[in-house]
Amino acid sequence: MNAPSRPLVIETRRVSRIALSAALLLAPACGGGAGSPTAAGAPVVDNVQPVHVDLGPAGDYVNGIFTSVTICVPGTSSCQTIDDVLVDSGSVGLRLLASVVTLPLAPNSDTGGHVIANCVSFADNTYEWGPMANASVKMAGEQAASVPIQLIGAPGLPEAPSDCSGGGTAADTVSSLGATGVLGIGVFRQDCGEACARPLRPPKIYYACGASDCEVTSVPVANQLQNPVWLFTQDNNGFLLSLPAVPETGARSVAGSLVFGIGTESNNALGSAVVYTTDDVGNISTTFNGTTVNGYLDSGTNTLSFLDASSIPLPACVDPDSDFSCPPSTAGFTAVNQGSNGVSGPVAFDVANAETLFDTNNAAFNDLGGPDTGDFAWGLPFFFGRKTFVGIEGQGSPGGPGPYWAY
Amino acid sequence: MKAVIAAVSMMLLGTTPTWAALGKPVSSVAEDQKRLGGEVRTLSTTSGFAVHEISAADGTVVREYVSPAGEVFAVSWRGATRPNLVDLLGDHYPAFRDAPRPAGHRHGPLVLRTDHLVVEMGGHMRDFHGRAYLPDRLPASVSAEAVR
Repeated sequence: MNAPSRPLVIETRRVSRIALSAALLLAPACGGGAGSPTAAGAPVVDNVQPVHVDLGPAGDYVNGIFTSVTICVPGTSSCQTIDDVLVDSGSVGLRLLASVVTLPLAPNSDTGGHVIANCVSFADNTYEWGPMANASVKMAGEQAASVPIQLIGAPGLPEAPSDCSGGGTAADTVSSLGATGVLGIGVFRQDCGEACARPLRPPKIYYACGASDCEVTSVPVANQLQNPVWLFTQDNNGFLLSLPAVPETGARSVAGSLVFGIGTESNNALGSAVVYTTDDVGNISTTFNGTTVNGYLDSGTNTLSFLDASSIPLPACVDPDSDFSCPPSTAGFTAVNQGSNGVSGPVAFDVANAETLFDTNNAAFNDLGGPDTGDFAWGLPFFFGRKTFVGIEGQGSPGGPGPYWAY
Repeated sequence: MKAVIAAVSMMLLGTTPTWAALGKPVSSVAEDQKRLGGEVRTLSTTSGFAVHEISAADGTVVREYVSPAGEVFAVSWRGATRPNLVDLLGDHYPAFRDAPRPAGHRHGPLVLRTDHLVVEMGGHMRDFHGRAYLPDRLPASVSAEAVR
């Protein structure tokens, strides 16, 4: 963020060490490639991970959805559970603030001994810079044996290269991020994929760092940031995010669940949900007010941000809240989503006056809107009162292979 | 874009490797191309301005919108990462950096709209995009909708 956020009310870092039994850590290494639903006869594990929407660990987050993630040094019983990690269906990869990680995780290096670092810059112009490291990842009863993750702001690296910082703002503390990390569990297996594995001119996402500087580098797909869900031993083809409905004036806090797997256990059937497959960068198309643009479902975006043509009475709020919409009264709309598979269907939604919503001091809103930036962002308001399925690329499921969303 | 872009000539330009930026003269487009390491296409338009599209080797596409007077009045970008805004916004970067932002945390599209500078950024991993323009420097009869 560019401006200082509100002073911390209470910074809760409910970070605790827990010791897992050796038996849990002897779970078989993740298979990965099969991509099929859990085979018949596989043991049923607890696949329900609680999530909550509230003001978050910095006490000032609107429409932030958080969960707890347990990480371990691979192959050991040395583990740590980190609370208040942001659940983000719009990115891929587990990124944790180095300042909250007490486990001794060794940074990953290339064959030349350079530390591999990752840079991500989000739409809000914050960026996260830090080394890669491997950890086992556990949520509910699910476990992935060794997952490349990012340690945001870990000491010992050169500062972020200018192409990474690039005029953005570092989100490397609880107060600047508003969370202890980001659990990126979007529709892809990796944050970048083949583009970052090519030897010539990969995107400026991975860097090889010496003692004093860092250069853009390519990284094999298997060593990139991974969606932990697809590396789970089972229930690894996706998940559903279930959040209850909230009143139009919002709620102070909301409890929901991430249920891992799609059609793999009795509690994660697609049912009547309709599958919308995405394109190769994770977009569907959304038609609103006669215009069709790219659309995406993103639990890590806190608004419904969409076309605000002059024919639509949705003025932006006055500075400094111009990221939000301030209609004089709550307005109802319908947009039509269409997947790459040609399936389409309408979605009805409301947009209320953001300043009125903020005055409630609530944290969870299904009607928080924002102005257009060229596409249609179905942020967290979309997810209330729904079960939303995220199908991971290349993973088979009763809804076909991902990448897709279904609701 | 509204289909105002007619056709096109491929120009390979190259000079000193500094960055052209919002508010700078058209000659600076070549410098951006050099920096991005890509190719420039100059898209002529029927709307009283020219668009120089720089396709960087890493897949990022930057467009620079040039007025009949030869001034870059808008820039836009799309790609797996966002370009260096210090360079791309040039002399207008401090106004962007110092603009008041909402209290509290939000993650999502960024919209800054002032009388002299508009910056909008959006998208998600693998597909980030944005645009910036100078509202009081738009050529006559050109609307902001043309900047995409």
